[in-house]
Amino acid sequence: MPTIEVQRQLLPILGSPNQGARFFNPELPSTEPFVPGHRTCAGCGPSIQYRMTSKAAGDNTILVGPTGCMYVANSSYLCTPYNVPWAHTQIGSAGSFTAGVAAAYEAMIRKGKWKGAFPNIICEAGDGSASDIGLASISGALYRNHDCLIICYDNEQYANTGIQASSRTPYGGMTTFSPPGPEVPEGKKLFPKDLARMMAAGHPHCYVATASVGYPIDLMNKVRKGLNNKGASYLMVYTPCQKGFVYETPRSIDLGRLVVECGLYPMWEWNPEKRSYDYSFRPQTMRPVSEYLKLQGRFGHLHAEHVAKLQKFANEQWRMTGVELPEALIHAADAKNLVNMSAAAEAETVAQTL
Amino acid sequence: MATATEAKKRMVRINGCVASAQAAKYADVDVIAAYPIRPYTATMMALAQMVANGELDAEYIVADSEHSQLSISHGASSSGARVFTGSSGVGVQFAYELYSPISGSRMPVQMMIADRTLDPPGDFGSEHTDALSTRDMGWLMGWSCDAQEAFDNHLIAYRIGEDPRVLLPQMVCQDGFFVSHITGDVELPDMGQVKEFLPPYKHPYPLDPRHPVSHGPQIMPEQGPPLQLERARAMEESMPVIEQVHDEFAKIFGRRYDPWVEEYMTDGADVVFFLQGAHAVTAKFAIQHMRDRGMKVGLIRLRTIRPYPTERVREVLSKFKVVGVIETNMGLGSVSSGGVLYSEVCAALYESPQKPLVFSFMAGMGGEAIVLKEFYWMAEKMLEVQKRGKIEKRTHWVGFEH
Repeated sequence: MPTIEVQRQLLPILGSPNQGARFFNPELPSTEPFVPGHRTCAGCGPSIQYRMTSKAAGDNTILVGPTGCMYVANSSYLCTPYNVPWAHTQIGSAGSFTAGVAAAYEAMIRKGKWKGAFPNIICEAGDGSASDIGLASISGALYRNHDCLIICYDNEQYANTGIQASSRTPYGGMTTFSPPGPEVPEGKKLFPKDLARMMAAGHPHCYVATASVGYPIDLMNKVRKGLNNKGASYLMVYTPCQKGFVYETPRSIDLGRLVVECGLYPMWEWNPEKRSYDYSFRPQTMRPVSEYLKLQGRFGHLHAEHVAKLQKFANEQWRMTGVELPEALIHAADAKNLVNMSAAAEAETVAQTL
Repeated sequence: MATATEAKKRMVRINGCVASAQAAKYADVDVIAAYPIRPYTATMMALAQMVANGELDAEYIVADSEHSQLSISHGASSSGARVFTGSSGVGVQFAYELYSPISGSRMPVQMMIADRTLDPPGDFGSEHTDALSTRDMGWLMGWSCDAQEAFDNHLIAYRIGEDPRVLLPQMVCQDGFFVSHITGDVELPDMGQVKEFLPPYKHPYPLDPRHPVSHGPQIMPEQGPPLQLERARAMEESMPVIEQVHDEFAKIFGRRYDPWVEEYMTDGADVVFFLQGAHAVTAKFAIQHMRDRGMKVGLIRLRTIRPYPTERVREVLSKFKVVGVIETNMGLGSVSSGGVLYSEVCAALYESPQKPLVFSFMAGMGGEAIVLKEFYWMAEKMLEVQKRGKIEKRTHWVGFEH
């Protein structure tokens, strides 16, 4: 049977510096596949991410939205904010529905039933979908290497259902399923599932990376690298949730940087050709975790010992990315040197810039 | 190497599973979503080989679960591809979440089901409970009783489901083993016939970047009723299309099926069996033998259960004195404390001025064959009821009573 060769898109990588983020960038396309007018909260991290990623992808794009905030709050019947095709799928169907779309386009283009360059197929799964109920479906799509990009917009909880703990909720994070109380003073007792590393380790042929809304150009470049990669790619993006994290609305981008600067959200890329991690991303500063925690109500109940545990966790993350730990951070992992979060605002913390 | 386009009409001896695979090949499906579970697996094995041989150009996806199979199918169908998937038993249940979203988004996904008893315990035999438990999810649904009918039903179902007046998914069911693994003569058509009968799939609103649409956004409660009504209407309005398509099938392929019910030896019958699927084959032999002995027994085989042909069932069954529903499915705690077909039959007859006596038989449970002497026993029960003018009880468990 005569088959037609499938043409793929190649998106240019933006040349702007990774760290600079808050200025107009002329390289960015003017297209807005994700327009205003949706019902997400003010300062919504996942929505900011949605706009950046869809802008980076452009108009020859199909979006898949498993159940989550970006479905429930975004997509109101008769007035959805998507300027490109978008489909809801079940929360456990993130990878599988996306695989179906990708497979359909492979077959339809090859068989001459659809003409044009292979569309960018992007799945926007929340961390509940990506780390819990849809994990197997995403693993299946990555394993089979469908030409698609699966994004986990990680707001570290089930947010649209009213803030419940997911496998990505950090240790000490208060949610309605992990409330603190006299018996469980820290709230969430478990440390988060290392989802992105799990995806890289289990599907080493895929491009896998972590990103944060705090670094928009870096995020958009990772989106484009993921889309340019012929095959499956996976991106886990830190997207703060004002409603669940309980912080001042304008500080979403600040949190997106602080989480990286304090080591709780290591930024890396998995290079499928070299089969190795790229840890070259370095934040401009390093900070103790308390700098990040104290801005959020969800950590307001933590005692000094809990903060120390989180600092220890962050220090391990730094070590994994090959960073030499400054003395101050080792110091900050000892509860003796810390105060309870309720007193954090008044307390003098360790030096902010190290 | 033979390709689908070169195929000429020919007779082959294949089982139900392979007949389904052949039908998918003739339908030139674009995406296939597979996951193994007995007994339907053989269909996917056959398709895998066809793809490997280059006989069929399709994306063959080995999914990670039945839930993923149906999600893949949903995504692919939403994008404009013709999709084939399938399952059996608990696999059908594992995918349950997707049935309503697929029919709700009006995607004509096709699913082959070779029935298998649900757990517990692990039983390979055919019971219709797997597919029947999904009967109200907005899928067109019906049973075949042999390999040829299975082949034909797949093509017919694609044609109906993809009709722009219908746009509904289809479950094309066959009994596990009794059809799926029993070899029969099947006429494979000429490709030209299939092309004439089944035009390429074209969904009016696929996920196409050139014509952006949003599928399945959130609604407010007040937006629910019109959408549900629309889906209910699609089901209802598919009925004339189903009749028209069966008519066209007969013209092109020369095999005429009544889309709703098959009547067998019902002339002058007082009592009739009412069933779905493969046990009809044994029933027909039993009826021949009983007729030879002067017993006025006939058979009504339901071919399509969704949409349910209420009028037709009423009209057909009103002619008789007694109807014995053979369930082959579990409806634990149901109207009859037996299966679920009984209530469908009774509801259809409720408005009839001439109601036959209706009761049911639990037979073939766990995939046991229903043998001739069991049909004789059931017929005797029906004749006794006819004589008495009153049913003994709503449900008889065959093999557990004298």
